[in-house]
Amino acid sequence: MFNKILFATTGTPSCDAAARVAFDMAKRYSAELIIINVFGVPSRSFSQTVTDIRTGDEVDLHDDQLEKVKNELEKTYDQQIKSYTSCETIITVGIPHTEILRLARKKECDLIVMGARTSAEENENSVNRHVVGRTLQGVARSARCPVLAIGRAAASFWGGISNIVFGTDFSKASDEAFKFAFNLTKTFNGSLHLFHAIDISADPFEITKDQDGIEDQIREAREKIRSRYLSKMEGYSDYEIDVWEGIPYVEIVKYARESFADLIVMAHHTKKMDPEKAVLGSTVEQVVLRSNAPVISVNHPARQKKL
Amino acid sequence: MSQNILCTPSPVNDKEALDALLKDRRGKQYYDEMTRLEVDTAALRKLLNDTCRSRIRTWLEICVRCGMCADACAFYLSNEKDPKQVPSYKIQSTLGEIVRRKGNVDNALMRYAMDVAWGKCTCCNRCGLYCPFGIDMGVMMSYLRGLLFSQGFVPWEMKIGSGMHRIYRAQMDVTDEDWIETCEWMEEEWEDDWPGLKIPVDKENADIMYTVNAREPKHYPEDIAEAAVLFNIAGENWTVPGKGWEETSLTMFAGDWEGAKLQVQSVYDALDRLKPKRMVVTECGHAYRATVLEGPYWTGQKSGKTPVETLHYVEWVAEALRTGKLKIDPAKKIKEPVTLHDSCNYVRNGGLSQCGREIMSYIAEDFREMTPNGDHNFCCGGGGGLNGIGKYRKERNDGQKVKRDQILATGAKLVVTPCHNCWDAIRDLEETYKIGIRQSFLKPLLLDMVVVPEHLKPEKE
Repeated sequence: MFNKILFATTGTPSCDAAARVAFDMAKRYSAELIIINVFGVPSRSFSQTVTDIRTGDEVDLHDDQLEKVKNELEKTYDQQIKSYTSCETIITVGIPHTEILRLARKKECDLIVMGARTSAEENENSVNRHVVGRTLQGVARSARCPVLAIGRAAASFWGGISNIVFGTDFSKASDEAFKFAFNLTKTFNGSLHLFHAIDISADPFEITKDQDGIEDQIREAREKIRSRYLSKMEGYSDYEIDVWEGIPYVEIVKYARESFADLIVMAHHTKKMDPEKAVLGSTVEQVVLRSNAPVISVNHPARQKKL
Repeated sequence: MSQNILCTPSPVNDKEALDALLKDRRGKQYYDEMTRLEVDTAALRKLLNDTCRSRIRTWLEICVRCGMCADACAFYLSNEKDPKQVPSYKIQSTLGEIVRRKGNVDNALMRYAMDVAWGKCTCCNRCGLYCPFGIDMGVMMSYLRGLLFSQGFVPWEMKIGSGMHRIYRAQMDVTDEDWIETCEWMEEEWEDDWPGLKIPVDKENADIMYTVNAREPKHYPEDIAEAAVLFNIAGENWTVPGKGWEETSLTMFAGDWEGAKLQVQSVYDALDRLKPKRMVVTECGHAYRATVLEGPYWTGQKSGKTPVETLHYVEWVAEALRTGKLKIDPAKKIKEPVTLHDSCNYVRNGGLSQCGREIMSYIAEDFREMTPNGDHNFCCGGGGGLNGIGKYRKERNDGQKVKRDQILATGAKLVVTPCHNCWDAIRDLEETYKIGIRQSFLKPLLLDMVVVPEHLKPEKE
């Protein structure tokens, strides 16, 4: 199902849940696991010093340092590495999301697994705890393969998959996410929950006054799901269609909980130009942070392995 | 003869020597060896005889130590007017001594000269503007750096930087393959939002050949994609060379005259090969100085100019806005107060101060000038290679106080820095002094507000 899984980690406890999933999946699908740790970001211009992502310290870039970080990381995942031989550890420096995407492209990975926030952000104030790591944002937006993000420990058990929630905003990227979700459902012989949330947060006073209007929108959305997706499901019968109204990420999280979702599949396609909006994070990012199920984001047809 | 392994007068020409230097953590062994590095006085005397011409000799002699240059220097002002930071003193006590003693100087003087040439001067050339005799200390400092490099008295990072250029023809270990690969990657990654986006490599007879700073493929590849999008929107017929794509020159900062010539020649060779109408240089200051202002002389161009007309990125942007190739959506102009940092290398030394102002008039609603600005602007504090030299970090940070106060006085939180070095320096300044500012290149700002023609937009869903 997955041949090459790239697990991007800071090596801190915030990535433990993601590590559990990455190793579990690699074992389950006999995939090659590549672990990447971008331990320092370039600083001081062209110099040989980088800023350590975990500590904020200025460290020097030399072979011994790379070796030291590698040893530390392999020690962190000692048990898991011992139990699974087909893995490779890559330590590098740079802008984290750039280096993760560069490696995923070079190695032709078909899944990227990562945690949802960095430890540095965890150390900061409570607002930051709810802003998904910029790295995940950068990776999920541009990756050519699905990105599995683990926000909470509860979401880290990749076991039997029977209930898959596909959240759609009817975008082109969502079509790709649908293909992936449907293929996955077929593979697991599971149940596909096609879901859309009508966003009433944007214009609360206009819309909420008019329940008829909301219900019209719900009917339209259900119709759209039928025409856009059901037609492509080759008669597969184990599915459900639901459309709720509210704040999309809240509704998706609630819906996933009620449908006992084992996995949420969504598209993360916004190339947000407005920094204000980017700070709040997109729906996907909020779902990752809040959901008890792992979230896979899919944007692109390329490198999406046939299941 | 000294037994030095890492710190020698020989430049770094192969990967083995480069790796050995890189392994030496923070140049510990390198600087230790430097204390035992012998000065080859005969060679130094010969070099002086061959290269120290009447201009520099005259400048050294006619300087009356009037001190008019003192208040022009950011280091003097940032260091509580320490007399040892007066530019005239800095050059007379180093290059002046070497010339007066005809090269008969010792290790201690050479090391002192190194500390001054890289740790107390960014070659911003501001002092030259205020000298009643027009003595240009920045030019003399650059010359001094050449003398020091020839004897091996050069900061560790500069020796590495010069070696990188000699081996990779780039300031970092980015090969031509890495470069082309990065262009392909960016095309792929950005094509969803910009259908049909191409970064044409090695296209002959294009209107523009675009060249970059190696830090872009190395760490900031989106910068290349942003440039491509803007060229695309402007409808330019452009290309990047597969070889000779790197404009920067740590060799120039290092005083490695031979390496500087090799580097710039690689760009001119690309011009010769691809025959573009014009060349555009990315948002980098010293790259412009090396390739456009100094390069023609290093390579003996009879015209004193680059083989084809060359524009700094700000010149291209100003032209594109003026001619309407790029149109700004008035609703998306920068609303918050914003200031502009002038890069010494293409503003004071390249005469491009008006370009920045012209651009700001199109993109900002509340543009606030620093005081002084334009040709008289102060250096970011990290020029001349100082940004990257660990040994002089304190000197760099202290020297940025003037720039910090200049920015604070504008009240702007956003500093536009169309230069890689300045961008880095302003970021570091924020890290050191925490004054709540952020810095940006022009490209991402322009992308946020430029009007995109219908045919370049992604298909509607």
